[in-house]
Amino acid sequence: MRKKVGGMLLAAAATALASAAQAEAPIRIAASLPLTGSFSVSGAKHEQGYRLCVDLINEKGGLLGRKLELILGDNRSDTETAINQYERFINADKADLVFGTFSSKLTFPVSAVMEKYGMVHPVPAGGALRIWSQGLKHAFYFQQNAAELVGESLVEMIDALVPPDERPKTAAVVHSDDFFANGIAAGLLGRKVENPGGGVVADLAPGYLADHDVKVVMEERWPEEGFSDWLNLANSVKRSEAELVIGLTASAEEAVQLTRALQTVKAQPKFLYLSQGTQAEYAEGAGKAAEGVAVHTSWHPAVPFVGLLAGATFTNQDFRKAFEAKYGTAPDEDSAIPFAVCQGMEQAVRATGSTDNRKLSEWLHARTKEDPVRTVLGPFNWDERGLPKGRPFLEAQWQGGVLKFVYPTDEFEGVAPLVYPKPQW
Amino acid sequence: MIDILQVLVLGLALGGVYALMASGLTLIFGVMRIVNLAHPIMILTGAFVSYWLFTLYGIDPILSMPVAALVLFVIGLVLYKLVFAREAASAKYSEMTVLLTFALAMSFDGLLGALFSNTQRVTTPSYGTQAIFLGDLFIPTAQLYAGIASFVIIGGLMLFLRYTRFGYAIRATTQNRAAAQLMGVNVEFVSLVTFGIGLALAGAAGSLVSFIFSFFPAKHWEWIAILMSLVVLGGMGKLMGTIVAALLLSVIAAFVGTYAGSTWSTMTFFLALFVMLLVRPQGLFGDRIEEA
Repeated sequence: MRKKVGGMLLAAAATALASAAQAEAPIRIAASLPLTGSFSVSGAKHEQGYRLCVDLINEKGGLLGRKLELILGDNRSDTETAINQYERFINADKADLVFGTFSSKLTFPVSAVMEKYGMVHPVPAGGALRIWSQGLKHAFYFQQNAAELVGESLVEMIDALVPPDERPKTAAVVHSDDFFANGIAAGLLGRKVENPGGGVVADLAPGYLADHDVKVVMEERWPEEGFSDWLNLANSVKRSEAELVIGLTASAEEAVQLTRALQTVKAQPKFLYLSQGTQAEYAEGAGKAAEGVAVHTSWHPAVPFVGLLAGATFTNQDFRKAFEAKYGTAPDEDSAIPFAVCQGMEQAVRATGSTDNRKLSEWLHARTKEDPVRTVLGPFNWDERGLPKGRPFLEAQWQGGVLKFVYPTDEFEGVAPLVYPKPQW
Repeated sequence: MIDILQVLVLGLALGGVYALMASGLTLIFGVMRIVNLAHPIMILTGAFVSYWLFTLYGIDPILSMPVAALVLFVIGLVLYKLVFAREAASAKYSEMTVLLTFALAMSFDGLLGALFSNTQRVTTPSYGTQAIFLGDLFIPTAQLYAGIASFVIIGGLMLFLRYTRFGYAIRATTQNRAAAQLMGVNVEFVSLVTFGIGLALAGAAGSLVSFIFSFFPAKHWEWIAILMSLVVLGGMGKLMGTIVAALLLSVIAAFVGTYAGSTWSTMTFFLALFVMLLVRPQGLFGDRIEEA
């Protein structure tokens, strides 16, 4: 009898120990990022955003009484590697949560892996409509909208801020042959968006440019990798005499190359818009040539968004200060977006009291305009595809070496007037 | 007419830079049969030297070329002694060097990333984005200066190879390693110094590249294919052939880019390689390939 009681006590103690150990086991969060290769600039900043968020939550006591552990892999901007790493995170590392990677090119194949295992896939960068037309059930996009709709904000900004007789009448659209850039171009030029296996996802005709009476006088795409003939491309842009030049790429480095080349050949469009170039590295590389260049952005330091972190209010300004304290430099959107991803997932885990990905997915889907996820990028609730509802892109412009926020003008204070036409170089 | 001339100028400008980038690669292959896949990352190492000298001390990248060349020369000597010298007698030396240099490229890629981060850099001297306008025609100054610097260096290298005793020794080793050794050439020392010179050329090219292209450590993977195709087209180890190939193909690529679209311009190099291997496998300036 005594022996039996002893055995029971031992078993109880063992169970208690096991559950204590479980309570203390960290929540494992995994992400594969392009820390080297052509997306390394943005990839490294994504790491900073994820890490800052995880560290801040840990400093404030963790989540569900557990610490967070961040497992990162470098996918070298390579799709196969990204797929392998997520497979490993889920199957071998037994990650509780996974965070998304950078750029549509990598997100598209990765989304299939996440869906296969029923993991919630919070996507920091992957705006191509093709990703969101696959019927994904557990993917949520943490930027304003699909890449194909980026062009809408651009033409609307020009309509809103430039007098009719001064608006550009001709446009040159030059872009990388990349998932994301092709998406934006499809919206601007009114193309059909097709799935790789066939089937039209969306017909965007006539396109935002034609819709706003802007005639496309040049369209050119450069190969996704290994392109170096920037001066020649810029010279073709110059010869087209387009008044609006639109350069689309997923790579901040290519944005620098294109800007410098346009400056060198003295192409003088009325307006120059790029899909990348919010980073400090862009300003450094392009130098004075950045003056007047417009870029769309998902985040801006001046926007007074109020988010949540570790169950308490955490404003965009709090984010900026915490980032500067940790890294000694100012953040840009490439760090703010992954930070918002982490905020969103934290809120889901906190609200459901669980890391059960099915519950998290249901909770995220149940967000509404009144009860959204609150992040440094603003509030998010999603449609059935996983695209945010009712969020316009922000348009920014380099003015005097600072990225000023210029459109929309009615949402926040501190909006700078648009410099138009772009100063000549 | 101006348009055609303009495209020609831009093609030559790019070709001048490629010529210097590929010259060290072809020299090392010619003398030592080392297929140096680490050459582009060495160019990037030179680019970082010039970038930091410019950023920290304001030294113009053209002026810092000798420093970058010297740094890479020393790296070359060390690497040769450490990595390549002991394998030189191996029958599978050339094959082996492909793996060795691939490993070196990956190691340096990681090292540069760890030291300088993977963010993009570009050296920004004032002439970096200027052009000389002759009526409607323009010549980009950065490419012009880089082209002039390239040809001074390559010209110097050719004179060195042709008219100095050591140059004779290098050429003798290129032509027939065993015979050179029998004639009293210290081929081991020649190889060591040539490897250093090859990397010094990479360093010098890096200084120029630093203000022509923006760069980051992983950028070298994009260059290796183009540079290797220039070496093969030029005739595997023939310096003049590589230079002609670089200029010719850059001009063709510029015309293709302008009139057929940028997507095709990069492909020009590989199409040319393909055609050349079918029609004239020994390359532009290569000797006839003999059956082994």
